[in-house]
Amino acid sequence: MKNILLIGWRTLTKPSGYYSLGALVIGGFIAGIIFWGGFNTALDITNTEEFCISCHEMENNVYEELKTTIHFSNRSGVRATCPDCHVPHKWTDKIARKMQASKEVWGAIFGTINTREKFLVHRKRLAQNEWERLKANDSLECRNCHNFDYMDFTQQSERAAYQHSTALASGEKTCIDCHKGIAHQLPDMKGVEGW
Amino acid sequence: MTINRRQFIKANAVAAAAAVAGVTIPATASNLITSSDITKLKWDKAACRFCGTGCSVNVGVMDGKVVATHGDIKSPVNKGLSCVKGYFLSKIMYGKDRLTTPLLRMTNGKYDKEGEFTPVSWDKAFDIMAEKAKAALKKDGPKAVGMFGSGQWTVQEGYAALKLMKAGFRTNNIDPNARHCMASAVGGFMRTFGIDEPMGCYDDLEAADAFVLWGSNMAEMHPILWTRLTDRRLSAPHVKVAVLSTFEHRSFDLADNGMIFTPQTDLAILNYIAHYIIETGRVNKDFVNKHTNFRLGETDIGYGLRPEHPLEQKAKNNGKTAGSSTPIDFDEYAKFVSTYTLEYTSKLSGVPEHKLEALAELYADPKIKVTSFWTMGFNQHTRGVWANNLVYNIHLLTGKISTPGNSPFSLTGQPSACGTAREVGTFSHRLPADMVVSNPKHRAIAEKIWDLPEGTIPATPGYHAVLQNRMLKDGKLNFYWVQCNNNMQAAANINEEAYPGYRNPKNFIVVSDPYPTVTAQAADLILPTAMWVEKEGVYGNAERRTQSWYQMVEAPKGAKSDLWQLVEFSKRFKVEDVWSEELIAKKPSVRGKTLFDVLYKTASLEKFALDEIPEDRLNDESRDFGFYIQKGLFEEYASFGRGHAHDLAPYDRYHQERGLRWPVVNGKETKWRFKEGSDPYVKPGSGWDFYGKKDGRAIIFALPYEPAAESPDEEYDLWLSTGRVLEHWHSGSMTQRVPELYKAMPDALVYMHPDDAKARNMRRGDLVKLISRRGEVQTRVETRGRNKPPRGLVFMPWFDASRLVNKVTLDATDPLSKETDYKKCAIKIVKV
Amino acid sequence: MKNLNLASITGLTVLVLALLFSSFIASAADKSEINTLATLRDHTEITEQKEPVRIPNVVNKDIKQKRNYPMQPPVIPHTTRSYEVNMNNNKCLSCHSRQRTEESQAPMVSVTHFMNRDGNFLAEISPRRYFCNQCHVTQVDAEPLVENTFTDMHSLMKKKVTSAEND
Repeated sequence: MKNILLIGWRTLTKPSGYYSLGALVIGGFIAGIIFWGGFNTALDITNTEEFCISCHEMENNVYEELKTTIHFSNRSGVRATCPDCHVPHKWTDKIARKMQASKEVWGAIFGTINTREKFLVHRKRLAQNEWERLKANDSLECRNCHNFDYMDFTQQSERAAYQHSTALASGEKTCIDCHKGIAHQLPDMKGVEGW
Repeated sequence: MTINRRQFIKANAVAAAAAVAGVTIPATASNLITSSDITKLKWDKAACRFCGTGCSVNVGVMDGKVVATHGDIKSPVNKGLSCVKGYFLSKIMYGKDRLTTPLLRMTNGKYDKEGEFTPVSWDKAFDIMAEKAKAALKKDGPKAVGMFGSGQWTVQEGYAALKLMKAGFRTNNIDPNARHCMASAVGGFMRTFGIDEPMGCYDDLEAADAFVLWGSNMAEMHPILWTRLTDRRLSAPHVKVAVLSTFEHRSFDLADNGMIFTPQTDLAILNYIAHYIIETGRVNKDFVNKHTNFRLGETDIGYGLRPEHPLEQKAKNNGKTAGSSTPIDFDEYAKFVSTYTLEYTSKLSGVPEHKLEALAELYADPKIKVTSFWTMGFNQHTRGVWANNLVYNIHLLTGKISTPGNSPFSLTGQPSACGTAREVGTFSHRLPADMVVSNPKHRAIAEKIWDLPEGTIPATPGYHAVLQNRMLKDGKLNFYWVQCNNNMQAAANINEEAYPGYRNPKNFIVVSDPYPTVTAQAADLILPTAMWVEKEGVYGNAERRTQSWYQMVEAPKGAKSDLWQLVEFSKRFKVEDVWSEELIAKKPSVRGKTLFDVLYKTASLEKFALDEIPEDRLNDESRDFGFYIQKGLFEEYASFGRGHAHDLAPYDRYHQERGLRWPVVNGKETKWRFKEGSDPYVKPGSGWDFYGKKDGRAIIFALPYEPAAESPDEEYDLWLSTGRVLEHWHSGSMTQRVPELYKAMPDALVYMHPDDAKARNMRRGDLVKLISRRGEVQTRVETRGRNKPPRGLVFMPWFDASRLVNKVTLDATDPLSKETDYKKCAIKIVKV
Repeated sequence: MKNLNLASITGLTVLVLALLFSSFIASAADKSEINTLATLRDHTEITEQKEPVRIPNVVNKDIKQKRNYPMQPPVIPHTTRSYEVNMNNNKCLSCHSRQRTEESQAPMVSVTHFMNRDGNFLAEISPRRYFCNQCHVTQVDAEPLVENTFTDMHSLMKKKVTSAEND
């Protein structure tokens, strides 16, 4: 075993005497594409709603709750899927989020929230993670669709127009400060700011 | 005139300057009317017109109009609160389409079943009514006349109707709409305890450690009791709330343990809890040995459908023996319930095991005071009496009964379901104070109080609500009077039974109502009716609380109260018209008299003179008839129950109190019945005494789970449940006419699971048809409303007169209580 | 000429018939309206059903409505879709509670809501008032089916003031 590894290592470190540089570059490029494509495909697959709700923890809790909300069914049919709100669009952020998600895989394997009751126990912590993330990135995933610059206040209710043109405009507040629980039910809100 | 802010400030400045200068300015210079002569409202108390909670409300009157209402701060029931309906009571009498003249179907000036509704005088209306009633009596005897009344009648109205039908026309064909609502509860009480109505009271709400809601959406249907339950749950953190239903609704918002079960499996869950109590050794043996008996009930009792229906043909014991039972002992009972294991029950009901166990533990733990509430989930059930019996079982096994917080509590739907329908006994088999027509002793008591000859009251029970519609259709019930309810919108399966019954050319249908309801639309004669505080009356709520109110405003000209109509109509009959010569011979003094003389203008009623009515009070009926008729009727009725554990206080006292809970003995109301120390009827030294039964013992019944009459199959693949909503009361005939309530909940939608909708290619708002084997109704889909059904079940409320869901529902009933199951039938939904 | 006459006669006949027919339909409609009395059913026979109207939208204009009398709970002038009021939280109070009104500029819940069953004021809103939706309801954009002739007490008082002045 040791010998085989040693031979392999020597081969890799030795300059090529047989293949042309061009072939090597092209071959590496193709291999890179295949590798990168596979990685991206995997990334894309894990970024679909189907993948998210393939775990019953997601399907029976958060997704079930989403179904009756405005982010699922609304006038124009523009729907938010799980990754729209929960996976950053910027590549580096996305990779960082994916690495965090390995913890969720762990949770799924060990059944941390495999019943509704267990899910409810953890709900506050889970929600707080998301609120903190959105607070920290100035509600980036909200703003991917809801762009402040293009809001028509005259089309909003008076109450909404007032808050958006003052607190949101000044940056004093960000979306998630007021719009908690718009897509899923809320946890126990004791001690949460604004409640 | 509108004054803007600037003008207001200016006006105030002028006023201030004028005050300094010591001059007075005219009243119109201020935008506030301050003269006490003008701003004064006349406030008075009344019972709320809607549900069985029995809130007391203050009614503000100005210039003969009700202008404001709010919850009565002095009432122990609601302590100043009202629900949204209660707050809008002031508008229920003012729908623009109030009826003010009798309307008769006529062609060319003559009554014609197929004619147009034409205004006629009261005189003419009573003429044709009397003619039709007399013709029916002459042709087929008392069985051909009947009446459908109400748990919304005042006590006096119900009592007057009972007398007119059972003694005057000598027919037991009188039933209240409470048959659709409370009959199973009555059956449960009579079977287990031998006496009707809850042992506990609303004070249980502040004393219990746990609440279990069995098929009761209190958050919407009994909002004020819900405020008390919420108060208790949130202010005492150890309190737990369990909610069971076939779909998720607003009461789940407060649930610590919310459970969705497959329809009909509540029977199994109840037996599982009994099994759990026994298995874990938590039976209160001392209580059980001293105060209970065990019996095994008859099974396979059918579904109360027409006899030729295949289900009835198949049932073994749907005849007279359906309610029978045989004595067993504790061990036999324990063996009986032992088949309801956790695993079996969880599988059958679809409720996770840990939830069932947590529920059972609330009952089993001797340290937890538990109150069970139920309403239509139990009562509108083809095994409704059983469900009632089974919940008593668990309270009796643990001795958790008749003490503060330990309370199996049947809530009522109508404001006087208890007071008028049950206590007065306006059912086809009943007489006042829990007596029944089939018992010769009971008939004799009634005949004595009524000063009528022996044999006046017929011995066989009459047609109950569902049977009335069938008999109308079959042409056997030909003169029919409907008061104070909207049965064409309420009765199940109207396509096959009620509608053909009402429109059967052999029949004459009279409907009394303040508004043109669906039922009025199906009538031949409509009588315009005074409502609520346009008359004096008494209601009795779910905790045995009897409450009275005075007439506060005049009814619209032409509208008359149900009481006036009943009594005035009685003048149209000579005793000879309705009684046999044989009966008259037993009391010749009645010869030549009218039913008015014999039933109402009697010594027992007439002794209450007009001068007993305070002079500043309205009372149209009494001043018309010449004596204080509401008091006379009440006092005569009260004499049935006094000394027999149904004692009522003297009438006048109710005008002072915010109601009293009977039995009222030595001026004191009773909070918890059957318990020594709180119930004066309990034998000293007994601890508990279920004195409704001769041996003082309540019965624990062994009764199984049996399937529903109709369940979803391949073609009709969904369960349909129907019911009410918070904003509307019953059929909406009052609340749909209040703009704010209408706009809060305008149309009856079908609530369904988003996945069920998607599977049928439907979405919110889609126009769909609900189709059953009996009929269809169109409505629109709601996938995200306040009710969240599980997959496989849909819910549609019945308040909407334009979307009659009762064309679809099944008229299967509990064979014991004859109450319809409105919560279960099989339908399919298709896109229109 | 003859043809023309024929044509005009035919035309006239058609016209007369059409008029007759339309008047027949009109009278039939009146007749059924009177006969059915079905004010809440849009004058439809029990055996029939008119097509159910679309689900109306909740009014979301934030404009306060006048109350019918001082004790009436105000109706909600905005949508409450997905607003939770349950064991975990009360969305309404996140704007309408005393602490939140400065930021939200929403009306504060009335002082009566701080009273417990015995009429004593608590330091916080009484839990008996927890479920706002038992008294406060949203309104949809729909015309009532039946007009209501309820009289506002203010109009009665104004009448009296005016008549007192005229005396």
